[in-house]
Amino acid sequence: MTVLELESLSVRFGGHLAVSDASLRVEGGRVTGLIGPNGAGKTTTFNAICGVVPPSSGRVLLDGKDISSAGTHQRARLGIGRTFQRLEVFGSLSVADNIRVGQEIRRSWSRRKAALPQYLDGLGDPSPDVELAAILTRLDLVALADQPVGALPTGQARLVELGRALAARPSVLLLDEPASGLDEQETDAFGDLLLQLASHGLGILLVEHDVPLVMRVCERLSVLDFGQIIAEGTPAEVRANEAVLSAYLGTGPTPAPGAPGAAPVEAQ
Amino acid sequence: MSDHVPEPLLELRGVHAAYGSIEVLGGVDLSVPPGTVVALLGPNGAGKTTALKVASGQMVPTKGSVFVAGRDVTGVAPEELARRGLTTIPEGRGIFPNLTVRENLQMATYAGVPLGRVEEVAYERFPRLKERRSQLAGTMSGGEQQMLAMARGLAVEPKVLLLDELSMGLAPLVVEELYGIVAAIARSGTSILVVEQFARTVLGVADVAAIMVNGAVRRVGTPSQVEHELSTAYLGG
Amino acid sequence: MRTFLTATIGGLSTAAIYAITASGLVVTYTTSGVFNFAHGAFSMMAAFMYWQVHVAWGVPTLPAIVLVVFVVAPLFGALIERVIMRGIEGTSEVVKIVVTVSLFVALLGLANVIWPPTQSYTVLPFFNNAALSIFGVKVGWARLIALAVALAVAGGLRFVFTSTRLGIAMRAVVDDRSLLQLNGGRPGRTSMLSWAIGAGLAAIAGVLLAGEQTLSATTLSLLVINAYAVAVVGRLRSLPGVFVGSVILGLLVAYGQQYVSSEAAIGPVSLSGAVTAIPAVMLFVVMVLQPQDRLEARGATRVPTAARMPSMKLALWGGLAFVLVTAALGNLIAGPDLFKVAGGYLFALVMLSLVPLTGYAGQISLAQMTFTGIGAVAMAAWGASGSPLAVVASVLLCAVVGAVVALPALRLSGIYLALATAAFGLFCSAMVFNQQDVMPGLSRQVPRLALGPFKISSDYQQLVLLAVTFALVGIGLVALRRSAWGRRLAAMKDSPVACATLGLNLTATKVAVFALSAAIAGLAGSLAGRTFISDEFGLPASLPVTMLAVVGGIGSVAGAFMGGIFLGAFPIASTVFAANAIGVFRFVSLPVTDLVAFAPGATGVSLGREPDGAAPQMAAGFRAVGESVPSLVVSFAGFAALWLLARLDVVGGWAFVAAVLVFVLAVVPLLPLLFNPEDMGRKLATGIFVGLCTVVTVFIPWDTAIASNGMRALVIVLWAVLVVRTAIGVHGAVPDVVPRGPRTSPDMVGIDTPLTRADAVDAGRVLGIDEDELDLVTGRSQ
Repeated sequence: MTVLELESLSVRFGGHLAVSDASLRVEGGRVTGLIGPNGAGKTTTFNAICGVVPPSSGRVLLDGKDISSAGTHQRARLGIGRTFQRLEVFGSLSVADNIRVGQEIRRSWSRRKAALPQYLDGLGDPSPDVELAAILTRLDLVALADQPVGALPTGQARLVELGRALAARPSVLLLDEPASGLDEQETDAFGDLLLQLASHGLGILLVEHDVPLVMRVCERLSVLDFGQIIAEGTPAEVRANEAVLSAYLGTGPTPAPGAPGAAPVEAQ
Repeated sequence: MSDHVPEPLLELRGVHAAYGSIEVLGGVDLSVPPGTVVALLGPNGAGKTTALKVASGQMVPTKGSVFVAGRDVTGVAPEELARRGLTTIPEGRGIFPNLTVRENLQMATYAGVPLGRVEEVAYERFPRLKERRSQLAGTMSGGEQQMLAMARGLAVEPKVLLLDELSMGLAPLVVEELYGIVAAIARSGTSILVVEQFARTVLGVADVAAIMVNGAVRRVGTPSQVEHELSTAYLGG
Repeated sequence: MRTFLTATIGGLSTAAIYAITASGLVVTYTTSGVFNFAHGAFSMMAAFMYWQVHVAWGVPTLPAIVLVVFVVAPLFGALIERVIMRGIEGTSEVVKIVVTVSLFVALLGLANVIWPPTQSYTVLPFFNNAALSIFGVKVGWARLIALAVALAVAGGLRFVFTSTRLGIAMRAVVDDRSLLQLNGGRPGRTSMLSWAIGAGLAAIAGVLLAGEQTLSATTLSLLVINAYAVAVVGRLRSLPGVFVGSVILGLLVAYGQQYVSSEAAIGPVSLSGAVTAIPAVMLFVVMVLQPQDRLEARGATRVPTAARMPSMKLALWGGLAFVLVTAALGNLIAGPDLFKVAGGYLFALVMLSLVPLTGYAGQISLAQMTFTGIGAVAMAAWGASGSPLAVVASVLLCAVVGAVVALPALRLSGIYLALATAAFGLFCSAMVFNQQDVMPGLSRQVPRLALGPFKISSDYQQLVLLAVTFALVGIGLVALRRSAWGRRLAAMKDSPVACATLGLNLTATKVAVFALSAAIAGLAGSLAGRTFISDEFGLPASLPVTMLAVVGGIGSVAGAFMGGIFLGAFPIASTVFAANAIGVFRFVSLPVTDLVAFAPGATGVSLGREPDGAAPQMAAGFRAVGESVPSLVVSFAGFAALWLLARLDVVGGWAFVAAVLVFVLAVVPLLPLLFNPEDMGRKLATGIFVGLCTVVTVFIPWDTAIASNGMRALVIVLWAVLVVRTAIGVHGAVPDVVPRGPRTSPDMVGIDTPLTRADAVDAGRVLGIDEDELDLVTGRSQ
């Protein structure tokens, strides 16, 4: 089921077209990848989805409803959650308090039981403390619960951002380079976590530079270049796409023999 | 680098650098011999841009030193390096969007070349800039903006030129043209360090290629030597 | 028609002066990112300087102008940039605003010292006010000169910014500071130049204004504040916008002066101040018309703040202790001094209103005394009998007014809230507090509170009431900070964009906290129980409140109290030391009152070096005391003993002051260390030393040994500091209670900072090793 859809979205900054006519679907229960070289417009796309920058044309649909004119906080209330490429944690608060703020803001506007996230399965609609504990456990942050986030290394601070976003119980989660700053092992565990979250019904849109991670967790990938979607498909299809390769590696006059296009897909 | 190579014009020795408590460079050694084009390649987050920032004086290394023409310049301010012949064209577009083309060129004169000469060189190489000299630089196309940035690199006749992600967000044809200019600047004897994600384009121009991964230079060699390693570095393996 | 023409020409020449000033403001703001609230004070200083050079020293007009406008003012601007503004680069907007506000206050104080307001200063207008006839309208040469100068400034700025390398570099630095460096430009130099140009333009306006009226530091500074409204038209960045805005404002003011007579009124509301209020109204209208600021996700700074939340227990005990100490102290003080101390407490309460707003939520207000005024006047109108219900009503009124004032500005960035509140303060001075019905004769008595049959009847009871209120509100604020809402405010301060993407309505939250802040300020007014004059509610009265609250350390209730006492102490100090001067070897002699006039601003300016304020550092020293029961007991017992000695006239007043100072500074912070069981030898020595010093202090005949009050105060402070230093010498270094600077991330400990025992314990806790086992690992034993 499609939860989030972009219809020919464009974002213009002065004379610069940062996102141009981009269309994209995010399915519930799956991880969708959005990749592309630096400066391709991925973060701008995120900002347009959650209302931080206004689109110059096109529509954003959530569960089929047009939310293009809603404000940032209204979109959050409708179920869009996100993390940030450049961390936006609450540095002066502890890890637990960061997540609590997410919970408390949700509880301040939502009296309805937002779709219960499945990692809370079997807990009914849990008390905030139980939910907090569940999130901390799920993200492996229990030991750091009382640490001020400002003192954490980037990788863990990113997990705190994720936990905070989960606490708002979104139906779509936008993750902007969540794995940068994690080591190899942590990245593996993080991939498992994403798959688990998705398997419980959450729609995830993932921007990530760690290609192996993207290839592992995403069912579909869109590739953004110069603000345009240049390819869309399964990871294997995208990998074999010549346009994608040239976007990443540049197009020389003649592609070198043995170029990555011919490389076996299952490199791991 | 082998021993018979003359003293490098730019050299990083054991450079460590960090943003706050997060270390990005863990001992980078890199040298740019006179008159060569060195391409610094590698995946995102490898620390290429940070290495360039250390070389241009924008970041002070936590450990290690930077040498220009054999002199230790670690900790020297970027503007002082710029006035002494080390020109940097940074990531994104190295122009001032709210200044006109001509005013942008005037900013290039801090390096010691008079405005008349800067304009002459720039307009000769890029006639399009001459047509647009009173236009605000930010309203030009991406390719034209990058040409303006390159015009500075060309006109101030630097001893060392540092280029960061020249091709970012530009169409392949424009990128090719820009690298043609890089080659021309190299022929005039300037030493060039190019940081690039578009590996294939730059390899045609470079004399030496270095691949950076995880904050260290993993391999240095001729372009043909390193080319097959690139796909693993970029798309995982 | 004739009058219309006269007004138009007059308006244009006023517009010319606005344009000159505002373009200076815009030049410094765009190139250095600091909005210079002291810009008006720059103009004022230049006007006086011109008087000094031209009238007092008799230098002819032209050389005098050249000296002031082209030499002194630019040098002064460059100096300010180099010494003060460079230090606040990269600090929060609140600190930037407060530093320039402090500069404003300091310059105002300095001007009053150099050119005492007791004397009258007049400068003849240019060409002796000769006039020229244009279309049958007589126009003074001074006005024509103003117009010509404005045109010249417009042309000159255009030339500098488009045709000189330095000017282009000043625009380039706005576009991309680091790229300018990579080109070889020196951004530090361009900033200095922009401040020099800004100060020069302020000076031109000052000199042009000098001929128009008798010079008054306050009036001149505030007059130039009108230029802020003009700058807002160009969103503080556009010079053409400034010129358009100036013409609009200049004409509005001129027509207002021409067609609205001073007796005009709408019903009971007098319009006598309407013309003065025009700039403030214009500022609001322009702000309402502007589109909402965009959120930005640039990455939040992740430096953990040093300020810790006090526990509820500490807040409750602290509140109780505060009330008891006040009651004890008040008992010692008599008559008019008691009234002044109560004044300090009132300021402290007003500053407390900034704790949630500025400390928790990171917003700013420059109109807290105006809200105090509204609370006071409402109480006077509704609660003649001192009814608590009237207090509630006054507080609610302030909350509503606060919300309405803040709403337009909160859609925009922090600097606009500062401007909007400043404008609100000016508006109320011009249109509210000068109404006959609101403050008859420009003063109004606030009735004292009556709780049922018990009515506050003495200054002493009033002081205790203020202390109780302060304690209750303070405890409430600590509770607030610990609540879900408090967490949300802290979160919003750290990252507004993250809060929005979690579903928080930022504008509503900011409005709510602003309303709370206005309510607390109003509470202070409604409980003041004394007579106010309208000047106490003006902008010049509000500025030091905000400034000293931030200097005291705005994140904490204690900081607000320190700031309040500080501000309250100035008038006391001025009267006590009225006849004294502090001399250094008889070469330099500064009257203490002058020092006092200048000091508050100077302390605010020093904030550039310590953006956290004073309280967190002091708090670090004293916090440990709150956490150790024996230390608390000894602290209170010692204080009680000293008080008893004073009460029984065993020791004199000055000896009491000196002993309390030594006790608080030297003994109390060391107590937790002294009660620590390790290393007894040293502790004992230190304990004996500080104990002896306290006793010696009590028996030094302070009253008779030194004749001058000022000298005596100075010696007492020096003595206390000496005791502290020596005590630390005896004991050895006192460990930092709160480590300063960013903490090392745990994964770097042992790599770029040495592994300490605390780190090992932390790591152990994470790994589930208990401390005893840890000692085996790290090879230490008890």
